[in-house]
Formats: sequence, structure tokens, C-alpha cells
Amino acid sequence: MKTPPQGLVVAGFSLLLLLAVLSLSFGDVRLSPGQLIDGLLHRDEFAATILWQIRLPRLLVAALVGAALSGSGLVMQAYFRNSLASPGLLGVSAGGAAGAVVAIALGLASFSLFAVPFFATAGAFAATLVVLLLARRGASTERLLLAGVALNALLGAVTSYVLSAHTLTYERNAQVLFWLLGGLEDRSWEHVWMAAAVVPGALLLLPLGRPMDLLSLGAKEAQSLGVDVSRLRRWLLALSTVLTALATAVAGTVGFVGLIVPHILRLIVGPEHRRLVPLSLIGGAVFVVGCDLAGRAAGGLRLGIVTALVGGPFFLWQLGRSER
Amino acid sequence: MKTALRLENISVPGRLHALSLSVDAGKVVGLIGPNGSGKSTLLSVAAGLLPGAATGRVSWGTEPVSTIGVLERARRVAWVPQEARFEFGFTVRSVVAQGRYAHGDDGAGVDEALARFDLLAVSGRPVDRLSGGERQRVLLARAVATAAPLQLWDEPLASLDPRHGLELLALARSLARAGGTLVFSLHDLRLAQELDFLVLLEGGGLRAVGAPAEVLTPDRVRAVFGVESRLQSSLCLSLP
Repeated sequence: MKTPPQGLVVAGFSLLLLLAVLSLSFGDVRLSPGQLIDGLLHRDEFAATILWQIRLPRLLVAALVGAALSGSGLVMQAYFRNSLASPGLLGVSAGGAAGAVVAIALGLASFSLFAVPFFATAGAFAATLVVLLLARRGASTERLLLAGVALNALLGAVTSYVLSAHTLTYERNAQVLFWLLGGLEDRSWEHVWMAAAVVPGALLLLPLGRPMDLLSLGAKEAQSLGVDVSRLRRWLLALSTVLTALATAVAGTVGFVGLIVPHILRLIVGPEHRRLVPLSLIGGAVFVVGCDLAGRAAGGLRLGIVTALVGGPFFLWQLGRSER
Repeated sequence: MKTALRLENISVPGRLHALSLSVDAGKVVGLIGPNGSGKSTLLSVAAGLLPGAATGRVSWGTEPVSTIGVLERARRVAWVPQEARFEFGFTVRSVVAQGRYAHGDDGAGVDEALARFDLLAVSGRPVDRLSGGERQRVLLARAVATAAPLQLWDEPLASLDPRHGLELLALARSLARAGGTLVFSLHDLRLAQELDFLVLLEGGGLRAVGAPAEVLTPDRVRAVFGVESRLQSSLCLSLP
């Protein structure tokens, strides 16, 4: 039997660490490695303020969002047996965003830290249920994508309505726009705590890799081979929806992460989910931290824009390839 | 004689009507009938895979399937669908190894199953790049790798070439001699003639069961399939 890809996991973590150091050093104020260490240890108060108030929360949110979206995409691909399924394309991210936007517009965001993630989760679950109704399991690419197009348009309308109905409260509108663009600006420790639930979600996902292999080749087949399919599906659906919702609640709609990362990893290590689950979580974190870094290097491009610039062409290329 | 499979009063709306059947252990059983007569549905129900829509009772041996846990079911019964769609490029070997999932992925018998279905040479190929016949052999190898005593195969011969078809029949016979039970659907009535026991379905109900000579009478073949049948010498194929 194949061993878990420990070498690749270590390589992934090393890459993540390297990007983390770059991400913490780079910015309006550049910090040398020495300042970095002094800042993290509070020996240099100026560097400490930059690191602990701004860059560290941003880095952690980026890593958690990346892991969540990538893991969620991987799960959806196995669930729908379609390698083009992902939270963004299916409208689950849009559901999360619509929920978050409603929470902000109603003024609930200022009452409780958990209002936005809660509403985002509710919105994401609503979207997931609609996708399930529109596109049955093992659905063709066309059906899935059309369901996603319809749902994205519908949820976009909800968001637009909230925007137009609250045009008078400028501050809330600015917040709403933030969700639509997707970004990591001004992330605080509050956001890190909000997104921290990604960690238990990811841990719950780890042991499901093997049964996901069997499910991804057909539900009835998996059942006959000993997988409790309805139970597995409930878990996968709940985890992927919650992961997407949490990511959306703290960073807005960030597209393509769940599509592109599992795809690239599948090309490198093959389709076995025992490898793909841990690697997708790490790879997602690497990808989003990297995209954030690239966006900042390009003079402040928002995260959602960078991932779309990378992911859009990639998606079109994949679509062309799958026509074959 | 031990009973391997017992169906009691099985109904699936629009597909099977109050069907009862019992199959003895150690037999190679052919399931025949025109298109749409309910062969695939019967096999799914027998495998315990249609819990929602089906009513009636399915038992393996003496135990009702509903009392058997999911993992244990996989150790007792293997089911092979008529056609599989592979979205992801798992290797042939890893798909066959999935047959050992219910045995803690111990990998036992995987190489033998690959060899039996002539798949060793392609064991590293991704399954989404195989021909229809090769895909069918992969699924059959996975089913045999489970070592389940009751094997239910949906049209396993449909896309196999003559040699692989005959080898499959030979394998079925050797599994039956070892105490296993094989139930599979097929359209070739000439091959069906050679099996231990036949189940003839028509319109979702049982038309006849028994030894091939009793089931495939010229009158019944004409009535059910709309073809004339007579025994005469024709091209005979066998393994060298």
C-alpha cells in the first residue's frame, strides 16, 4: 500500500514557511530578518506593532482561507465526480457572500463577532442545497456549470438588492463592496479567530481521503465496496460548505482557489485522496499566501483579483482540455 | 443445498413486481430477459443497493441484508455495474485494490485478480484511458479481489472479446466449485445454455427458473424474445 506523501507534505510546509517569512518581511516598511525576529519577540516595538497588528493576522487569515477553499474544492470534485466543481463556480461562495452581506446590511455585524460567519454559513448551505437539487450526483459538467451560473446570478441579485436598498449608509456599503471584491486588507485577530474553525474542519477531513477515492468513482460502487455513502456524503457536504463559508466570511469571495489547487496537485501526485487531502490543504495555503504576496508586490491588487487573474485562464485551459 | 441468495416479494415501482427467487450456493446462474425486463434492477436489489425504492426482503444465506453492516456486506457480496464512468485517472491497480477496502486495504489477492483478468501489463495505466472491454475487466477484477462468496455481475460479457469472455466463464466455474455463487446477466442465449441455472425475467416479473434446458424451450424463447430457436451444429469456441 502507498505511504502518505510525507516528503511532499514537508516540502509544502517548507514552501509555506518561506512564503510566510517573505510575507512578513515585505510591505511599505521592509523588515530585515533580524528585525523580523526582534519584532516577533517584542524586542523591537516598531517592528512588533507592524507584525503583530497587521502582517501576522493577515498571513494567518490568508493561509486559513487558502486551506479552506482548496479543501472545499477537492471535496466537491469527489462528491460530484467532476474535476471542474468548486465553491466559486457552483455558487457556494456567492451564497456565503450573500449571507455575509445581509448580516452587514442588517447591522448585525457590529453586534457579534460571529454574526457574519453564521450568516455566511447559512447562505452557503442554502446555495449547496440548491446545487444539489439542480445537479444530481455524478452530474455532467454542463449541468453543474449551468446550475452554478444560474445560482451565481441569483445570489448576485440578492447582493445587488441589499446594496441598492442601503445606498444611504455609506459605511455599510463599503463593507459590502469588500465582500464582493474579496481581499485581506485590514485583517485583525478577530478575523483570525473567526477563521480558526477551519483547523478542526480540516482535521475532520483528513481521515475521509480513502473513502473519497471510492466515492469519486461512483456512489453505488462505493456502497457495494463497504463505504457508508449517505453518511460520508453528509460529512463531505457539511465540511465543504462550512469551510467555504468561513473563508468567505473573513475574506469575501475569492475565486478559483478550490479549482486550481486540487487540479495542479492531481497532476503532480495522482488522484488518490489520501495524498490529495493533506496536500490540498497545505497547497491552498501556499497558493493564497503567494497570491497575496504577488498582489501586494504589484502595488496592492486585491486577493480576489489576483486569484481570478491566475485561475480564469487556467479554468478556460482545463475546459478546453476536457473537451478532448 | 445451501441458499446463497433469497429474494422475497421484491417490488421496485415501474421495474420489478412482487418477485421472489432463491439461488443455491455453488452455482453459476444466468439472468436473462429482453431489454428493460428488470435484470439490472434485480442485481442492484440483490446487492442491497436500492434501499429507498425497493420493498420486500433480501437475504444472503439466512440473514436479511438489512441486519448486516455496510462493511460486512462488502465482504460477502460483490456487485459489478454494467458500465462505469471514471472521472479521475486512478491506476488500474489502485481501482482493483479498492476491492480490499472492507478488509482494511490489506492488498490481498490484488495481483492474482490483475493476472486473472490479464491486466498486469496495464496495471499502471489510468483507468480513464482504457477501452470499454478493459474497463469492464478492471471492474470484474475489483469484484473478484473482494473475495466475496456471492458475486453479482451486470452484463459482464457485453464488451469482452471471445477469449476474455470464455476466461470469465471458466473463472466463474472455478469460483463456484470453490463454494462461491455467481449471478450475472447476459444476452447470449447460446452461452446461457451452458450455465448451471437460469432465471428468465419478463416485464419486471419472473417468467421461468431452472436448468437451461427447462427454461429455454423453443416456445418460451419465441414468446419472450420473439426469435425462433433450434439446436444445431454451429461455430463452437473454447479455450485451448
